[in-house]
Amino acid sequence: MGDIAKVFHVDWPTLIAQVVILLVVFAVLNKFAFGPVTRLLLERRQRIEEAEANFAQSKEKLANASAEAGKVLEGANAQAARLIKEAQDAAAATAEKKRQEAIAEAAAIIAKGREAAAIERDQVFATLKRDFGRLVVETTGKVTGKALTSEDQARINQEAVTQISR
Amino acid sequence: MPFDFSAAALSVPSPLVAAVSLTAEPVFGPVTNSIVMAVIVCGVITFFVRRAMKNPKLVPDGRQNVVEFVAEFLYSQVEAIVGKKVAPRAFPLLATIFVFVLVNNYFGLLPGVGSIGWMEDHGAHAGHGAHAVAAEHASAEPGVTAESEAESAAGGHGEGHMIPWFRPGSADLNFTLALALVFMIVWIWLTVREVGIWGFIVHTFGPKGGLQGFIKYALLPIFIFVGLIEIVSIIFRPVSLSLRLFGNIFAGETLLHAMGGLMGDLGFGAVPQFFGKILLPLPFYFLELLVGVLQATVFTLLCAVYIQLSTAHDEEHGDHGDHSHDDAAPGHAHAH
Repeated sequence: MGDIAKVFHVDWPTLIAQVVILLVVFAVLNKFAFGPVTRLLLERRQRIEEAEANFAQSKEKLANASAEAGKVLEGANAQAARLIKEAQDAAAATAEKKRQEAIAEAAAIIAKGREAAAIERDQVFATLKRDFGRLVVETTGKVTGKALTSEDQARINQEAVTQISR
Repeated sequence: MPFDFSAAALSVPSPLVAAVSLTAEPVFGPVTNSIVMAVIVCGVITFFVRRAMKNPKLVPDGRQNVVEFVAEFLYSQVEAIVGKKVAPRAFPLLATIFVFVLVNNYFGLLPGVGSIGWMEDHGAHAGHGAHAVAAEHASAEPGVTAESEAESAAGGHGEGHMIPWFRPGSADLNFTLALALVFMIVWIWLTVREVGIWGFIVHTFGPKGGLQGFIKYALLPIFIFVGLIEIVSIIFRPVSLSLRLFGNIFAGETLLHAMGGLMGDLGFGAVPQFFGKILLPLPFYFLELLVGVLQATVFTLLCAVYIQLSTAHDEEHGDHGDHSHDDAAPGHAHAH
C-alpha cells in the first residue's frame, strides 16, 4: 500500500484538499440544486398525487351525479308519462262526457221534436176528425134530405171518426 | 508474492505511454494541477447551479429545467437501487459524486487540459513521488539508472518534463481516493443508521437463506468465513473504487496523448505530425466521451449498490431467505 501511495503520489495534504473540494461541491449542490430540486420534486409529486386523488374524487362525484341525474331523469320521465296518461285519461273522460251530453241533448231535442210532432199531429188529427165529422154529417144530411138530430149527428160523427181512426 | 506493487511493476516503460505523468504535479506550492482542475470544476458547477436555481419556480424553465432533469433522473435511479426510505439520505452524495466525476472527466477532454504547461528540468522534478520511488528501485537493479526509470515513470522525453497547468481530477488518485473515502464514511453512517452495528454484524456474519435447526449451526463457520471475506472486500472498496476510476481516466488521457504524438514518435515530418495530432486522437475523443459518463455511472452505481446491500432489512422478509436484492428493484416500495 505504501508503494502504491508513493507511486501515485498519494499524500495527506492533496487528499485532504480533494476531500475539501468535494465537500464544497457537495454543499453547493445540496444547498442550491439537489436540496431545492428534491423538495420541488417531492412537492410536485405530492401535488400530482393530490390532483390524482381529486381527479378520482371528482370522477366518483361525476359518476354519482350522473347516476343521480339518471335517477332524476328517470323519475321525471315516469312523472311525465303519468301526467300524459292522466291528461289522456282526462281528455278521454271529458270527450266521453261531452259525447254523452251531446247524445243526451240530441235525444232531448229528438224527444222534444217527436213530442211537438205528436202534439201537432194530434191537433191536425183532431181538426181533421172534426172537419171530417162535420163533412160526413153535412153530406149525410144532404143525402138523406132530412134534418139530422143532434143525436144522429153525434152518432154519425162518432162512426166517421172511428172509421178514420182505423 | 502474488502481486507486485513495486515502482518498477507500476511504472510505464514505453515513451509513448509515459507521455502523461502517472501523478498530479504541483503547479504552485503544494497545489497540484489536479487540485486546480477540481477547483475550476467546483467553481463552474457552483456558478451554473447558482444561476439555474436563483429563482426556482414550480414550473421550471431554461437552466432550472436542466438541473431538475438531471436531479430527477438521478433521484429515480438512486431510489430504484437503494429504496424509497434510504434514497433521500443517499441521493445528495451519490448525485454529487456523479456530477463531479462526470464534469471532471469531460473537463479533462477540453483543449489545453494536460497540454498547456511549462517545461521543467529533471533536477527540479526530483522530489516527485514517482521519481523518488523509481530512484529507489533503480538502485536495486543493475543496469537501470534512476534518471531513466524516473523519466519513464514521470513522463519525460529526455529533454525535460512538461508540467501541465491542468490535469483532469479523475486522473489523480488523490481525487478518486477522496471520493471513495468520503463515500465510505457516508456508507458507514447510513449503514449504522439503518440497521445498527449489531444488525450489520448479523447481516455480514449471520446465516443466510432462512436456514433453521442443526444445519444453521453446522454452516455457521462457513458464514463467518464468508463474513470475513466480506469485511476484507469492504475494506478494499475505497481502493477498488478509486483505482478503477483513476485507471480508466488516466488510460484515456494517456491514449489521447499517445495518439497525438504518434506521428512524431514514428519519425514523420512536421506536416504529418500536425495532421496526426488532429486526426489520430479524434476517434478516441468520442471513446473518452463515452468512458467519461460510463465511469461516472459505474462509480455512482457501485456506491448505490454498496449502500443497498448493507441497508436492506433482511429480517423483514421473514424466513424466505436473503431477498435484499429484490427489495431494491424498481417499483418495490420498502416496507420498513
